[in-house]
Amino acid sequence: MSILMNDSTRVIVQGITGRIGSAQTHWMLEYGTRVVGGVTPGKGGMEVEGVPVFNSVLEAVKETGANASVFFVPAAGVLDAFLETIDAGIKLIVIVPEHIPVKDVLRMRSYALEKGVFALGPTTPGILVPGMGKMGIMPASLFQPGRVGIISRSGTLSYEFAGILSESKVGQSTVVGMGADPVVLRNLADILELFENDRDTDAVIIVGEVGGEQEEKAAGFISRKMTKPVAAYIAGRYSPQGKKMGHAGAIVRGSTGTVAGKHEALKNAGVAVLDSPIDVAKWAKKNKLK
Amino acid sequence: MRLHEYEALDIFEQNRIPVPRRELVSTMHDALHVAGEIGYPVILKAQVLVGGRGLAGGIRTAQNEDELKEAADELFMSEVKGMPVRKVLVCEKVDIARELYLGMTIDGYSGKPVIVASTEGGVLIEETARTSPEKIAAIHIEPSFGYYPYQARGLLRMLGIEQKMITAWSDIIGQLYHIATRYEALIAEINPLVVLTNGGLMAVDAVLEVDDSALSRIRFPLPDRVDRIENPLERRGREIGVTYVDLDGDIGLISSGAGLGMASMDIIGQTMRPANFLETGGGITADLLYRCMELIMMKPDLRGIFINVYGGINPIHEGAKGVIRYMQEHNVKIPVVAKALGNRQEETWEIFKSGGVHVVTEAATEKAVDVLYKLVGPGEKGPAAKSLR
Repeated sequence: MSILMNDSTRVIVQGITGRIGSAQTHWMLEYGTRVVGGVTPGKGGMEVEGVPVFNSVLEAVKETGANASVFFVPAAGVLDAFLETIDAGIKLIVIVPEHIPVKDVLRMRSYALEKGVFALGPTTPGILVPGMGKMGIMPASLFQPGRVGIISRSGTLSYEFAGILSESKVGQSTVVGMGADPVVLRNLADILELFENDRDTDAVIIVGEVGGEQEEKAAGFISRKMTKPVAAYIAGRYSPQGKKMGHAGAIVRGSTGTVAGKHEALKNAGVAVLDSPIDVAKWAKKNKLK
Repeated sequence: MRLHEYEALDIFEQNRIPVPRRELVSTMHDALHVAGEIGYPVILKAQVLVGGRGLAGGIRTAQNEDELKEAADELFMSEVKGMPVRKVLVCEKVDIARELYLGMTIDGYSGKPVIVASTEGGVLIEETARTSPEKIAAIHIEPSFGYYPYQARGLLRMLGIEQKMITAWSDIIGQLYHIATRYEALIAEINPLVVLTNGGLMAVDAVLEVDDSALSRIRFPLPDRVDRIENPLERRGREIGVTYVDLDGDIGLISSGAGLGMASMDIIGQTMRPANFLETGGGITADLLYRCMELIMMKPDLRGIFINVYGGINPIHEGAKGVIRYMQEHNVKIPVVAKALGNRQEETWEIFKSGGVHVVTEAATEKAVDVLYKLVGPGEKGPAAKSLR
């Protein structure tokens, strides 16, 4: 099947009446996603792209049976809307916006984990299941159905890897953006576990970047639990030490978080470390992936 | 945003953390005057936003006027790790019995603030973390629960701190955590936190890095973020709303994501040398890419430009219009290669082609970089891969 999204996923779009929210609702619907409603407080009763807009998440859930939500809410309002969404019973949340204060992310993460909610982001392109649907902003043209899972810290690099695989006739089971912030709502190992347990995924690609310790920690999980082949690429080899490359997640602090450190940890866990994105095509061929 | 030491020390002082007497100066003459008021010996500390300042020669001691003149002269004429020294903090030199370490940061993996303390403070703290981990203790704070003083007392007991010092030290931990919360700090650090010969504690250094995403809601006065960026091109990047990092090569880069930008740098670096890193984030418009072109073209001797963008959240066809408008208005002669995929890609390719941009329609960045390399060659500086790690 796929991970996170399936045939019964019914999506609401929060912030649907905004410029980005409405444009992305169009693309999600066009890709076949079951978008059942939208939420913007005060704009209830409107329609966007033929989808009904509600004033609250609870109302949207009651009226549409929604069980998943994707956020295009301005950063300052995300914490509030996130807590509302969890309290309304939604179990899968994708936080696309960037520049959300870390203090808010810490609270969001803590509440989501407490309530058993699977949340991705912030600063994530979301989830895409080729041929089935997507929650977020991934551009559909680059993806093909298949059996390789992708997890990426960077949005645009997830498109790059999917695009290279698709051109080599290797499809994807699910593509997941975990978010590019220094603190994200779910760690890499949690998503790897979903792919390990997914019958329709044969192998997984990790697209990481310099900074943080997600890849190092995931290496421990891989050596203990993963039976499927895993490949990894880490961006940022020539990023000057200590210089900030856009996301705070990419700051090099001390020895943890360097490209070399991540390569070593992943290699020790049996992961195929890719020097360059294009090498993913060779790796897929060698492992006879489709 | 990382604050200067003098700014952070002021904030620490306002929040009842003991700090040394000090004054900020920008000339040798003022340094002399301030040192006279504070009384010798004094310490001169270059106010530059780099780590490892002490080991790089940015901190000097002066026992008397002659030594001060010499040290201040040298500091004002020097660079510390490439940063010019414009301001120097003149501090009283306190009598130190022992140096400790205290810091708070965010543990990204556990998603919690973490307080770290050590009985071995000073410039070699990172070395201590590797060689003597038992001298370092850390506690995580539950975001939904918050900080309570018993946690600090427990932390200090883990380090084997004698009971008579625990109260004073845990008070400072509480104050530092309070500052970190109020200023939404990603890092708040005192290194070293010193035990004076009279038994008191004092913060003789201060680090405070404020979460950029929270700047608009912090209710306390903070310096302007753009002003403190030393590099004029990086400052311009901040002004137009993109992340620009100045590098030493001759290939300009525009990318629509940090990960893609870093990967592009890695790939360019195999055969050529990037002149910059530039990441637009999710806000591409025709005007923004026009300004991005203007910004990367400010580097003299640029030999080629690589544009690597995806149309997910970004309207790349709009971006393409901005690029070619700049090229036409400024008669750009150097090769421009663009790889642009995603929503409205065909339209984007047409716009780029109409302006003379070399368009690559395959997904792999390597292919596009190859096209650029065939047009411009390795250049005099040679590939970045040779000189960087």
